[in-house]
Amino acid sequence: MLWRFSTLLLLAASAFAQKPSFTVGWSVYAGWTPYHYMNKSGILRKWADKYGITIKVQRFDYAPSLDAFVARNIDACTMTNMEALDMPAASGVPTTAILIGDYSNGNDALLVRNGLQLKDLPGKKMLLVEKTVSEYLFDRAMTLGGLREQIKRVRMINTSDSDIATAFIGDANASAVVTWKPMVSQIAKQKGVTSLFNSSQIPGEILDLTVVRTDVLSRPDGAGQKFAKALAGAWFETLAQMSTPGAAGDKVLAAIAEGSQDSLASYKEQLGTTKMFYTPKEAAGFGASPELKQKMALVRQFCFDHGLLGANTKSVDDVAIRYPDGSIQGKPDRVRLVYDLGYMQLAAQGKL
Amino acid sequence: MSVGFLLIHARPQRAWSAILSWFLFAAGLAAYLWVAQARHRENPEDRVTPTLAQMATGMYNAVMQPAEEDEAAPPAANFYDRLSHSMLWRDTRATSRRFLLSLALLIPAVLLGLHMGLFPYVGVFFLRFVLFFDKIVALSLLPILFIAFGIDELSKIMLIVIGVTPTIILDSFNLTRGVPPEQIVKAFTLGAGDFDVAYRVVLKQVAPRVLNSIRLNLKAVMLFLFAGEMIASTDGLAYRIALLRRHMGMDVIIPYVLWVALLLFLVDFAMRTVNRKLHPWFHEA
Repeated sequence: MLWRFSTLLLLAASAFAQKPSFTVGWSVYAGWTPYHYMNKSGILRKWADKYGITIKVQRFDYAPSLDAFVARNIDACTMTNMEALDMPAASGVPTTAILIGDYSNGNDALLVRNGLQLKDLPGKKMLLVEKTVSEYLFDRAMTLGGLREQIKRVRMINTSDSDIATAFIGDANASAVVTWKPMVSQIAKQKGVTSLFNSSQIPGEILDLTVVRTDVLSRPDGAGQKFAKALAGAWFETLAQMSTPGAAGDKVLAAIAEGSQDSLASYKEQLGTTKMFYTPKEAAGFGASPELKQKMALVRQFCFDHGLLGANTKSVDDVAIRYPDGSIQGKPDRVRLVYDLGYMQLAAQGKL
Repeated sequence: MSVGFLLIHARPQRAWSAILSWFLFAAGLAAYLWVAQARHRENPEDRVTPTLAQMATGMYNAVMQPAEEDEAAPPAANFYDRLSHSMLWRDTRATSRRFLLSLALLIPAVLLGLHMGLFPYVGVFFLRFVLFFDKIVALSLLPILFIAFGIDELSKIMLIVIGVTPTIILDSFNLTRGVPPEQIVKAFTLGAGDFDVAYRVVLKQVAPRVLNSIRLNLKAVMLFLFAGEMIASTDGLAYRIALLRRHMGMDVIIPYVLWVALLLFLVDFAMRTVNRKLHPWFHEA
C-alpha cells in the first residue's frame, strides 16, 4: 500500500514537476461531498488545467482534516466558520474563506426522549461532541429559551460522533442528544424521540466554508490565486449541475451521494436541511450581508467563552476577523480569519 | 571502553552506561526543541509543538486550577485545597478508579484459568469459548456494550474486561498446565485434597508468573480504558485529552501523556516490587 502510494507520488511529482501543485481536503458532510464528484467527474481537472496548476483532492475524517490544515500539510480545506476560527485562525495560521458553501438549516439538532422540554434538561444526561457546533447549538437553544443560567447543570457526556447514535439508542437513561445528520435521521426514527431544537432556528450561524491558507493565496508566483480561482470555478460548475432539475440533476446527486456511501434519497433528505448557495451570486450576497458579522460575533464569543481560542488568548479580540467591506472584528493587527468574496464575485460575473 | 565495544564480551563502564542509556532521551528532547523552535520562529502562535515554557504554564494551570466544568476555587484556598480540586487531580482520580477496578476484575480471571488448567470438566467447559473470545476485537463490539451496559462506568469497565481477561485466563491456564504433574501426584500421596493442590501447590507456584503477565498487560488495560473514555465520558485523563485535541491544546496534552506514562511506570514498578517481596524465591523476571 505504502509502496504503491509512494510510487504514485513519485510519478505525480515527476509528471507535474513544472506545475504548481495544491491539495484540498474535504470530509463527509452534505455540503462538502460535492468535492467527491467534482474530482471524479473531471470538472476540477478541467479548471486546474485552465489555470495551469495541479489540484489534488484528499478525503479525511473531519478532525484530521483540520489537523492537516493547521499543520500546513494541505492548502485548502472544508470546515465550519466556528472551526475556521478556533482551529487554524487561533493557532496562528491565517486563513481566508473563499467559498461560502451553505449553512446548516436543520442538519444539526437537539433530540430528546419522552417529550422533555428545554426546561427539563438541567440535571439530565445529554450526549454530544463537546466543544463543537453541537455544544454551540445547545448553548444557543438554551439562550434563546431564556435558560442560559441552567446550561452548566445539564450533565454533558462527551461522546464520539462515530458512536453517538448507538450510544443514545442503547442507553435509555440518556435523555437528550445533540448531533448532526445522518446520525440525527437515524436517532429521530426511534420511538419516543422528538426534536426540540435544530439549526434552522438559528439560520446562517453554522456556515460551511472552503478555506485556503492566506499565505498560499499570497504566494509571490501568483499560483495561489490561480488555485483559488480554479476551485471557485469548479465548485460553482458542480453546484450548477447539482441543482439542475430532473433526471440530469438526479444523476449528479447520485454520483455525489456515492462519495459518502449514501443513497440518492438519503442525500436529498440531507440537502433538504442544508441551505446550499447554489449560485455564486447567492453566496457572495450572504457574505456581503451585515448578518454575517452578527452571527460571527455570536460564534467568536462562544469560542472565547469555552476556551477554544486557546488558553493564552486573553481577549476575544486577539483572533480578529476581517469582512469583505474592510471592517474588522477584533484587533486590526491580529487579523487571522478573512472572508474574501472576490472569487465568488468573479464567478458571479463569469470572469473566471 | 575496550576495543570491539559492540561485541558480546564488552563490559561498558559505568559512565558510558549512564551516558548511553540517557542518550536517546536527550536526542528526542533535542529534536523536539529544535522542531518546536523552528515552528515558533515561523509562526509565533503555533499550538502544535508548544515550547517547554508553554507546557510548564499549561501543566501548572492543570495542577493548580479546577477544570472549567467545576466551580472556580476561592481565592483564599491553600495549596492543598487547590491541588485536590485541580483538573489534573480530578481526571487522575476518575481514570485511576476505573483502572484499579478493572485490575481487581482480573483476579477472578486468574482463578478461572487455574481451575481450567486443573479440573478437566471446567477446562472442557470454558477453554474453547475463551479461545474464541480471545480473538474478538473488543472495540468493534461497542454498540452492543452500550446497549447491554449503558454508557456510564460499566461499559468502560466491561470493555477492558472483554479486551484483557481472555488473555489473562489463557495465560494462567497455560502456566497451570506447565506445573510438573509429578508434583501434583506427590501432593496427593502426601494427603492433600483437590483444593489443597489447587491453591497451596499450584497457585503458589504460578502466582509470580501470573503477576508478571498482568504486569505486561497493563498497557492493554490502559489502551482500552483510554478508548472507552474517549468514546463517551464526563471525566478522566483521556476525556481531557480528547477535549483538548479539539482546539489543539498540545501544551496540556503532552504533559498529560507524560503523566500517564509516569503513572503506568509507577504501577509497573510497584507490581514488580510486590512480586519480589511476595515471592523472593522467584528469579525469572
